[in-house]
Amino acid sequence: MKEKEQILLESAKEYYKSAETSLKNSQYNSAVVLFFKSLIAFSDLYLLRKTGESPSSHNARFRMLQEITLEVYNLVDKDFPFYQDSYVQRMSKELAEVIKDDARTVAKKMEIEV
Amino acid sequence: MMQELWQKKWKLKYSQDVIDIALFGSAIFGGEKINDIDVIVLFKKIALKDQLHQTQEIKKQIQEQVSLPIHVKPFDMESFFDEGNFAQGGILFYGKSMINRKDFSENFGLTPKSRIRYALDSLKKKDKVKFNYLLSGKQGHYGLLRKYGGELVAPGIIETMPENEKIFVEQMKRITKDIIVERGFVLGS
Repeated sequence: MKEKEQILLESAKEYYKSAETSLKNSQYNSAVVLFFKSLIAFSDLYLLRKTGESPSSHNARFRMLQEITLEVYNLVDKDFPFYQDSYVQRMSKELAEVIKDDARTVAKKMEIEV
Repeated sequence: MMQELWQKKWKLKYSQDVIDIALFGSAIFGGEKINDIDVIVLFKKIALKDQLHQTQEIKKQIQEQVSLPIHVKPFDMESFFDEGNFAQGGILFYGKSMINRKDFSENFGLTPKSRIRYALDSLKKKDKVKFNYLLSGKQGHYGLLRKYGGELVAPGIIETMPENEKIFVEQMKRITKDIIVERGFVLGS
């Protein structure tokens, strides 16, 4: 489990850092996707620490989050449609910043600095 | 089931930042099997963060009133009319308000109309008669025009509401393939 925790933590931070670079370079679609992936990795880490399990699909993730933490569920659920649309729509700086905040919120719940 | 959905009286609480909440996508067309529900929340110009937060609250309320998966997206005028919003045309033409059950396009002073042009010239006489029965009914049975709401505005041209367009076209195509659908808006209601 420790190894899985480490992978999730490193992935979440890596996505976050890459997202910040994309944001600085005004590449908002990339920033949205990467901040969202960071949010997901932090959420999975949160679930892993709480339950000893991490989800294997989006459906399982939503189900677990809904049961374990409505606060995180609401963040992921509200941002998910934009992640889905990021392939076919132009994303905005404002949206990237909102999802960045959400990733930070989940990280902070575990006292992780990003 | 479709019509039940958009005709349903939704109990929704929302702030004054909300201009409209509307159904679009498959939930609009009569007779189709619905797997999920697509909803748009149109906001006045407020911060995206607030739009998202309020959208989640509205989504929860909808979820309590229907058992299907729900996809809700917030827009303001700027993002709605952004060229990157590929769903824009479909929402504008087919969207139905969940607040007042009117056409979503009424927010912009527009009424959507579907015009179906058809030609019967190449049909045999019996098929022409059959087509007439389909539109106008026979022996106490309503035809499409009366059953779903439609009007013969000129010879070979029917006008109906967008949500009924598919029903008309599917049934008419069983008799003639010579059908063209035109979609447009008229000013006012």
